[in-house]
Formats: sequence, C-alpha cells, structure tokens
Amino acid sequence: MAHVSNTRRTTSRFALGDVLAVAGLGLAAAVVIGARARRPSVRAKTVPAAPEAALAARRVRDGAAILGASVLLDSAMEHYRGRFHNAAMYLAPATAAISIAAALAEPRRERLETPLRIGHALALTVGFAGLGFHVYNVAKRPGGFSWNNLFYAAPLGAPGALVLSGLLGLASEAPTGLGRERHRDDEHWTERYGEEGRFLAAVAGASLLAETAEVWLLHFRGAFHNPAMYLPVSLPPAAAASLLAQAIAPRRGSRAFARLSLRATAVLGFAGTGFHIYGVQRNMGGWRNWHQNALAGPPTPAPISFTGLALAGLAALDLIDAAGKPNR
Amino acid sequence: MSTPFRTPYPTYNVLDKWDSPSFNDQTREVIGRRLDEVPPRRFFDAIQWATLLAVCNRVIPQPERRHDERVPIAPWLDAALHERRGTGTRYADMPTDRRSWKQGLDAIDAEARVRHGLRFAALAADVQDAVLKAIDDGDVRAGEAWAGLPPKRFFRHLVLKEIVRIYYVHPAAMSEVGYGGPASPRGYVRLGVDAIDPWEAPRGRWPGENDE
Amino acid sequence: MTRPVGAASHGAEVRPRAQGGRAPDVFSRDGTVAMREFRDSDAVDFAIVGTGCGGGVLAAKLAEAGFSVVALDAGPFWRPLADFASDEREQDKLYWLDERVSGGEDAIELGSNNSGRCIGGTTVHFQMVSLRFRPEWFKARTKLGYGFDWPVDWRTMWRYYAEVENACKISGPISYPWGPPRGRYPYRAHEVNAAGLVLARGAEALGVAWAPTPLCTVSAPHGKSPPCVYRGLCKIGCSTNAKQSVLIAFIPRALAAGAEMRDLAMVGRVETDGNGRATGVHYHRSGEWRFQRARNVVVSGYSIETPRLLLNSASPQHPDGLANSSGAVGRYLMVHSNHAVWGEFDEEIRWYKGPPSMACCEHWNYVDDHPTKDFFGGYSFMSQGPLPTDFATSMVTNSGVFGMDLRRRMANYNRMAGLKIVGETQPQAENRVTLADEADEFGIPRAHVAFSYCDNDKRLYRHSLTFMRRMLAAAGGRNIFETESTAHLMGGCRMGLSPDDSVTDADGRTWDVPNLFVCDGSLMPTASGVNPAMTIMANSARIADRIKALAAAGDL
Repeated sequence: MAHVSNTRRTTSRFALGDVLAVAGLGLAAAVVIGARARRPSVRAKTVPAAPEAALAARRVRDGAAILGASVLLDSAMEHYRGRFHNAAMYLAPATAAISIAAALAEPRRERLETPLRIGHALALTVGFAGLGFHVYNVAKRPGGFSWNNLFYAAPLGAPGALVLSGLLGLASEAPTGLGRERHRDDEHWTERYGEEGRFLAAVAGASLLAETAEVWLLHFRGAFHNPAMYLPVSLPPAAAASLLAQAIAPRRGSRAFARLSLRATAVLGFAGTGFHIYGVQRNMGGWRNWHQNALAGPPTPAPISFTGLALAGLAALDLIDAAGKPNR
Repeated sequence: MSTPFRTPYPTYNVLDKWDSPSFNDQTREVIGRRLDEVPPRRFFDAIQWATLLAVCNRVIPQPERRHDERVPIAPWLDAALHERRGTGTRYADMPTDRRSWKQGLDAIDAEARVRHGLRFAALAADVQDAVLKAIDDGDVRAGEAWAGLPPKRFFRHLVLKEIVRIYYVHPAAMSEVGYGGPASPRGYVRLGVDAIDPWEAPRGRWPGENDE
Repeated sequence: MTRPVGAASHGAEVRPRAQGGRAPDVFSRDGTVAMREFRDSDAVDFAIVGTGCGGGVLAAKLAEAGFSVVALDAGPFWRPLADFASDEREQDKLYWLDERVSGGEDAIELGSNNSGRCIGGTTVHFQMVSLRFRPEWFKARTKLGYGFDWPVDWRTMWRYYAEVENACKISGPISYPWGPPRGRYPYRAHEVNAAGLVLARGAEALGVAWAPTPLCTVSAPHGKSPPCVYRGLCKIGCSTNAKQSVLIAFIPRALAAGAEMRDLAMVGRVETDGNGRATGVHYHRSGEWRFQRARNVVVSGYSIETPRLLLNSASPQHPDGLANSSGAVGRYLMVHSNHAVWGEFDEEIRWYKGPPSMACCEHWNYVDDHPTKDFFGGYSFMSQGPLPTDFATSMVTNSGVFGMDLRRRMANYNRMAGLKIVGETQPQAENRVTLADEADEFGIPRAHVAFSYCDNDKRLYRHSLTFMRRMLAAAGGRNIFETESTAHLMGGCRMGLSPDDSVTDADGRTWDVPNLFVCDGSLMPTASGVNPAMTIMANSARIADRIKALAAAGDL
C-alpha cells in the first residue's frame, strides 16, 4: 500500500521565528529595491505629462505590492507549516518578493521594463504552478476534493493571490505605457484611458471576487463564529460588482458608489488584520503561544490583500474618470 | 533473554519543554512532585516490598539507566494503596485491591519458593521471568497462597496494569517512546502523517531505515 | 469523598466550591459567578442528583423555564484552565474511583473506563464522539427484530439531537454519509489527523464510506471557548475549554438561570412519604448528612449510581427499592464492546495529536443484509489515539506482555494506528446492578455490577475484528494484533411503554412514584452502535420539554 507521504524529512530545520525573520527581511529588501528603482518620484517635473495615467499605474502597482506582501508572509507561514517538504514551496515567498520589488519599481527606464515585466510574469506563472501543486495535494489525500481537504489541505485560493499580484503588475503596464508613449497630438488618448480603465476594472473586480471566494471558504470553515466575518464576503463582492459594472458600462452616476465601496474594502483590509490579530490573541495561550497560534489562528497577513485589490480598483476608476476630462 | 532496549528517540527529552508553552503551572507542579517527592514505603512490609521491587524490575527492566536514574515504580504503588486511592473496579472474584496486592506478592514469593526454594527477589532475572510467565498462564503450584485470588487476573489487571500506569506517566518513559508529553496551552499544529512540530521529538531512528 | 486524588487544586476535592452565593467560573482560573442558593428546608421544584449528560442538561433547561432547581453531584466543581494538568495519573481525579464490585462472565472495568465524578459528569472526560442513532434503532424490536422499542419517535429525537448539537457547537462534516439528512453541524469538522487518515485510506481501499468524526470540541472560537489546539489529552479533561462538556456548555447556563449546583454532595437516599411520593434527598456534604426538600426528585446518576440510589431508597411502600415494582431497576444494563485492532506503520502517525477519534465509519450500523452479517445490531468504529498508559494497559491486560518486550512494543507508539469499535450489546435482564453486601465510606451499600456477553454480542465483535483487520492491513498496517475492552454504560432503569417491564414512562417519570424522574443514560432501552453521549443529552433535553409541558398541564 502506498504511503501517504514518502517524506523522510525530520522536524523542520528552523523555527517559525526564523522563517518570519527571513520573510520580513525579504519583504524589506523587496520594498527597498523596488522603491530605489522607483525614483525619481512621478510627481517630479520630469515625468511625462500624463499624471492621471502615471498615478493610476502607481496605484495599481502599490496594490500589487501589497498583495505580494500578503502572499509573501502568508505563504512563508503556511509553507513552514507544511515543513517546506517540497523544495518548490520556497518559490512562493521568493516569487512574491520579486513581485513586490517589480511592482514598486517604476518601469520608466527602458532597461528595467523587461525585467520588471518578467517579474510579474514570473509571479503569474509560479502562481499557476502553485495552483496545480495545491490541486494535486488535495486530490491525492483520502477524501479527494472533500470539504475537509478544501479546508485543511493546501488551500486552492492561496496561489491565486500570487497570480493576481502578477496580473495586476502586468495590467499596470497598460496605463504607464500609455502615459509614456502618449503623443500630445493624439486626440484619442482620453478614450484609451477609458478602455484601459475598464480593462483594469474588470481585472480588479474579478480578482476581488476570487479573493472573496477564498475568504468565504475559510470563514465558512470558521463557522462565521463572529458576525464581522460576514463583512469580507459581502463588502468586497459589492465593490467587485460595481467595478464590473463600470467595466461593462462606465457610468459616472454609479461611480461614486463604486469608489465608496472600494475605499471601504481598502479599510476592511486593515480592519481584518486587526480582527485576525485579535483572533490569534484569543486562541489558547494567545500570542504567548504564537508558535502555534500564528499558524493555527486566523492568518494575519491575509486580509490586507483586500486593500491591495481595492487600490487597483480605485486606480481603474481614476482612469475612467480621466477619460471623461477635457484634454489639456 | 532479549536484546537490549534502544529508544528510537535518543535525543528527545520531554522535560526540555519545561519552560515552554507546552507546560502550564499545574502540570509543572504535578510532574515536579513526581520527580522530587518519591514517597516512602508505608503500605507493604519489608518482604513484600523486596518482592515488589523485583517484580517491577522484571516488568519494566531499566538496565540502561544508572540506579539513581531509574524510574521509581514501587513507591507509587505503595502510596496509592496506602492512600486508598482506588481504581473504581473490584472484580467480584478478587479481594479488595489492598488485600489482593499483599496476598499476591506473598503468593509470588511462595511460588518462587515452591519452584526454586528461594525468595522471588533472590532468583536470577530469567528465572523470575519464568515464574511470572507461569503465573500469567495460571500455572501456579503454591496453591494455598493463591486461595481466592485468580493468578492471571491479579497479574494482568493489578500488577502489570498498575505498573505500566505508573511507568508511562514518567517523563523518562514519555521521552523513550517519543510521546509529545504535556501539551497545554500549546498543542500541535501539524497533524498529518510524518508531520512533526518543532517542539515534538524529531523523527525516530527506526531499525531498517537509513539514518540520514 | 474527602481524600484528594490529585496533587493540583486538591482543595476542590475536599471543600465545596459552590457555596456562599458563588460558584466557580469555569472560564476563569480562579473567578466565580453568582449562584442562587436554596435552603434545605425550601421545597425546591426539582432536586436533581447528578450533573452530567442527564442532570446538567436538565438543570439548565428547567432553570431557564423558571423552576427552582438544586443539582447535587458527588464530585468536585473544576475550573479546567487552572485545575487540569497534562498528566494521565493526576487526572484520575475526574473518575469515580470508589470501589464497585464487577462480576459476571465478562466483568467490565469501571472507574476511568466509563464513570465520571465531577460537576459535568462523564462528559468532562469523554472523547467527544457525537453521533446520532440510526432512526430504526428507536424501533429496534419492530423494525429490526431485536432488543426493545423506545417509547419515543425518531423524528422527535432528531429535533433534540439538533438542539444539543447546537448547544455544544458540534464540529462535524458538511455531509454525513449515513442515515437520513441532518442539518449542517454548527461548526465545521476538524482537520483529520494522521491516525484518522489511516482509517480513511483503509476505508477507501475496501470501498466503504468514512467521515471526519463529528466532535464535541470547537473548530473555531465559541463564546469564551478557544478553538481546539489538538493537544490530544481530551480523555483526561480538556484544559483549554475547547471541549464543550456539560461543565462548559450547560452548567454556566444553569447557574445563570438560577439553578444551584452543590458539589461534593453525595446523595445517599431519596426520601418518600406515606403516600409513596418523593419528598427530597438525603445528601452528605461538608462532613454531615443533610436533607434537601423537593417537590420533584430527578435521579441522573448514570447506569450504576441511578439504580444504586433507587435500590438504596427502599421504604415500606417500596420494599424492593424505589420505582422497582417491575423489578426492572438495575436490569438491562448494557455496555459497548470496544474491541480493537492495532498495527504498525512505516510512517510516524503520532496518534497523540488531536482528539483521539477523528475519523469514523458507521458502515455496519446501516447494513442489514449482507452475507457476512451474522448478528443483530450494529457497530461503528473510529481511529484511535490512546495516551501512553492507556495503550500500555490495553496491551498488558490483553496479552500479558512484560519486560523488554513490553518496552520495545511501546517504543512503536508513534508508528501505531488502530481501529476500535463501539459495538452494540443486547439488553439482557441478568446484566444488572444490585447492591453488594458491603458499604462505602458513607455507609451506603456499594453497587455490584454483573455483565456477560450473549452469543449475538460475541458474533458482532468477532465480525468487527475480521473486518477491521482487513481494513488496517489495506491501509498498510503490519504486525496487527487485537485487544478487547468495553466502553460506556447504558440502561439499568429503562424507559418503556408499560409499567410491567420498565422503570419510567417516555417522560422519564417513574411509573411508581409520580414525582420521581430518571434522566440519564440508564433510561436507554437499547445500546445502539454509537457513542451514547449525544443521545443521552438529546433525550434529557426532550424530557425537560416534557416536564415543562406536564407542569403547564398541571400534571406535575
């Protein structure tokens, strides 16, 4: 009879603290590297005159970076829990770090453009590969695609966040590219803003829905024991719906609601982090038992991903807005 | 008679977790007392005590440990009976626990004398084992000594059962089998096959497997 | 009992904690909550003897309905967070360690095996397996041709299962493979541990269904209970309060609703007057005998102590013991056969992690016509996670192994997995509780328990051993061996449809004494092939509602 696992690895070679330290350093390094590449600021006079596009692009990238940070910390912790029993499990946090750096960097200089694009594409690819791994992990367990395995085996939604991070990064190319290539005498640029805004709105809206699905699964696992747990499965879908509505038919009248719901979703990311920190605290032993509770309690790095997606959504609205403004 | 015992977990000691979240105050108190406050003999007489020590030594031989490192068993048996701790069950074909133990130890000694002309405690280890095995088989020759006391039930349900109930709550025994030991407030995160938390025993060294 | 068993918090075993208008706050390390108190001379609406699945649930529901309730328990009132150590021997303090005499051809083990002694009763140390009866079992005689019919319809019981499952926030699978649909369990099933996955892969290899076991410990926070940390010491008392024992789920409710809990109060006799009606209970507390007056008395002491108390309460009107005109008091005592197979695996299973039985299989509870099925009744089986001394005692009492062989076999502890049944036994009149010739320290005659398997019981467990052996081998187990033991108690004061052959009616009201009730597992006419806790609790919740209805109709 085949064994469930052929792994003969002994106990982890390092502790959760080490993993978090490395992940934290990775995060910091990614931020520093990305921010250095980003200079000079878009607000500087040297920026091509397309502030709406550049600002929107930056916002999308900020969103992608936040998403990447969430993935980095979450995957580092979850894969630590899974003992990094497959070397590929290191790829997730590593790729997330690259994704953050790439997202923060501004692809202004020609020589950076390709590497950054590769960074985003890498996140996308690794995310999809991870999805495959996780599907395989669930499928091979007794019970297969049972609820128990969906709850507790490798989470299918998690690699999806890496996919989204890469996707947003790539999508951010569009407005920036437009901004850079813009010709003052191009009379149609505002229309193209609109198209790109709508494309971004569709991407961000769909991403929000995907994220909501994962949150629903995990909050369902937690039996929605706190009514607040319904917030992240009701507010983000509302925001997503209004975004998708804008993508399909960008009407100014309903944009205020879209903006409001996205801002609320962004705030929810922070509030959720607070709730999750409280959730860890209320588990047996609280933070004193953090070696267990940081892993077994609600995932603290997860909720902030909503903030990232909401930023991208807001950027999409900015672009759509800009499309409606008169040419300067 | 048998090859020496080797624990699969030579590097693991459950007491290393003493100051970790795996231990809470009440557990430290309970296990601390077990380690530090071994009770004196109060229930058995000297001869029964010598027999009991010999029996414990055959049921749980600890040759690999120095004398002062061996897990004490007899003192706790004596204490439980002295304190009338009870188990909740007295089999109808047995006297009370307190009487069974005294009679039973006397009977084991009598069995040794009938068979070998020596006190049980004075027999060689393999001979002691044979006597105990015979008792477990119900094959007793010191008839009178066993009157009203079924040998097999006495041996399994009092002697063996109470001895292992004391030995396997000792930290040394928990460590040798790789048991996680005290676990509160901290329990375990990794529940899967071959999945081990850092505060558990590292994977055991099993015969026939390559040690990496 | 004035001799403490434990080393930690032994004061709780010596001095009552629930007094002076305060009772322990079970969610704190040393706090208290307000408690209403009654005088002995107050004729309370209900004096309830025992605070487990029967009395604890009943006390909460009756107090919430506005009745005055005093619940007495022989054992201590624990605060798990401060009092429960991670130590098998220390936690012997949860059990009924007072001597009982056990006889019959297959004398059963009592004490830690099936008898609790504290506020919250046996649920404080139960292993939390929370299964429902198969509906047909409530009409076992009519529909399946064995045992007795219950005087209750399964659909009624189904409603009360849902009620107590919700009160205990049972964590169970989304869809349960056997029986009629049940509503979704309030909480999601826990992650199945390695020991459970062994059952799962064995079941899949043999082509039978399996499920994550519905468990009475929360998989997410609930009220003041944190989610389970999978420490695996459930059987010796949950020190985190994740387990929703009666102590955690019902006693605080009872106290909040104005019930009084009296810990360390051993009831020795139910008093009856010249009309044959119960007037109250004699109980021993703080060194003296006292008498609590009551308009109604409920006996909830479980299958040994309930018959024992009734038999010890004989009076001129009730010479053979209270409520015993049928002669059924103490009779039809049942256990579950608890036969098991164990095997070694190449992997490290480490079955000490998580609740002991995280995967279960009820296949043979729901199969009636199968060529190999040569017995009435059914059995379920679960994955296992015995603690070291539990596993060691089971090996030595079954095989007599000792010496280095024993230490070597125990060293396989982390590579072991096992399957163990909850096997139905038939209700037999001669399996019974009687009074022994000797008395306990209170001067109360001890219980004598007689138990023997019948041929059907033996065919059932033999069938299970054959089947589980195959399954464990299919899962990769080697060097498989078997052990036998028993678990649980059921019956002893069964309810029924006729005063001729049962002790109480469907409401738990004794046929002979109209203001005397029984409410616990001793009411069960048949044993079933599942762990009894949820059934006892559901039945108690139902009886509480029946009592409310009787009171409303002026029939109390």
